Amino acid sequence: MINFEEELKKFNPSLEIGEVQDAVYHLDLTDATDMLMQMLKEQGEAIVGENPDQNY
Amino acid sequence: MYCYHCGCLLSEYDYCPNCRADVKLYKQIIALSNRLYNDGLEKAKVRDLTGAVASLRQALKLNKDQIEARNLLGLVYFELGETAAALSEWVVSQSRREEKNPATEYINLLQNNASRVDTINQSIRKYNLAYQYCLQDSVDLAEIQLKKLLSMNPKLLRAHQLLALIFIQEEKYERAERELRKCLDVDHNNTLALRYLRELDLLTDPEDTEKKPLLRKPKDDVVRYQAGNELIIQPTNVVEPKSGNGFGTIINILIGLILGAAATYFLVLPAQISKVTEANQAQVTELGEVLDTKTSEIQDLENQIRNLKTQNDGLEQIVDGYNGQGGVISNINLLLAAANAYLEGATADETAAALAEISGAVELESMSEEFRTLYQTLLNDVGPQLSTNYYEDGYTAYRNEEFESAIELLSKAFYYDPQNVDALFNLGNAYRRMEDYDNAASTYRQVIELFPGDERATRSQQYLDEILSEN
Repeated sequence: MINFEEELKKFNPSLEIGEVQDAVYHLDLTDATDMLMQMLKEQGEAIVGENPDQNY
Repeated sequence: MYCYHCGCLLSEYDYCPNCRADVKLYKQIIALSNRLYNDGLEKAKVRDLTGAVASLRQALKLNKDQIEARNLLGLVYFELGETAAALSEWVVSQSRREEKNPATEYINLLQNNASRVDTINQSIRKYNLAYQYCLQDSVDLAEIQLKKLLSMNPKLLRAHQLLALIFIQEEKYERAERELRKCLDVDHNNTLALRYLRELDLLTDPEDTEKKPLLRKPKDDVVRYQAGNELIIQPTNVVEPKSGNGFGTIINILIGLILGAAATYFLVLPAQISKVTEANQAQVTELGEVLDTKTSEIQDLENQIRNLKTQNDGLEQIVDGYNGQGGVISNINLLLAAANAYLEGATADETAAALAEISGAVELESMSEEFRTLYQTLLNDVGPQLSTNYYEDGYTAYRNEEFESAIELLSKAFYYDPQNVDALFNLGNAYRRMEDYDNAASTYRQVIELFPGDERATRSQQYLDEILSEN
């Protein structure tokens, strides 16, 4: 069953071409490799904190 | 593939050959991203654009530097009519890899076509406006805007979807289905379009006993009807003001009639008169143009007639020159008659008279060679006899001291026989006796020149010397 108001909420205004630059500027480009590196970095710091001789 | 830590080229091992960093997980992420890109590409090839978008977005979530996936995602967005989203992906792609990136070409192609960009922008604005109308419950206005924008940019899929939703709301199921089919033509697996179609199937299936009005009716009680290209919306809940009594109604009717008549007189009538006047003016202009064309044609025909008359006159003159009095044919006839008369025994005088008539009437040089030959033959035959006759008469006149007559006759005698030296010599004498010394001298010179050694030439020389010495 289709409810017009409910369906309408699934639509949203479209971005105009002039607004692309601003949209790109605020785009979050974080990906899995970033998160992996962050994790490895934190892990490395923790390991380094436990054993200062070991380093990557 | 390069190490995320030091940037060194990785080998088949799970650690970096340079910095010894563990890259096993990193490699798995990159491989998964590549697999998702391949999946997205396969879906895009079979026009499963919704599926392609999902796969490519996942690929980019794993590896934002998967340039091919980002460029393809931009292309898929562009195909769906989402130009701004496509441009966003290409701009990001270009920023991640500046060289040898097809995204640069895509952006340039779009930016170099200003009219296309303008059309896309207008269609996006109309879509946003239509969406606002829908939120404000003005679906009829939204429908108009959506139809306009789809005529400008038929690829904007979300506009088709919104229009289909409006049609479903208005229970125009066939038109809704048509819009949804257009969506599926572009994106074969469009989830929203497929869901709406399934709902439409349920609504329009005659065997469905549980069919019921799934869509709510419009909130406002209005009557909608189509008048030409315009949709008329008339509220039904407007209460007409009640008048107090019958007299007031009559007054109102009268005022209405008067206002109607006035409006007709001041507004409708001038417009009609102006319209008729314009039509008449246009007709007059058209007739004037036709008249100008006809006048020009008549002028041309008159000129042609004048030229033809001139040509005809010239040709008639030429024909007269051949056939008329003194014409070529007439002279030929005269010559033939003279020749015929000579052959039948006409005298030399008669023949000479005929030849003289011909020579007086025509320029012999202008006649044909055959004409001149025949003329000369006749002249040669009758000439010596004629010359003798003229000489005898001329010499008699000379002896009678009738010098003018003598000169005329002796001239003819020499003309008809150029070998008649006596005629020429006595012609010179006649001139000398008449004291016409110039002609006498020239005649004597002619004798000396034409008949050298002749006794008449010797005497001509003596007379010439005398004339020259005396004058």
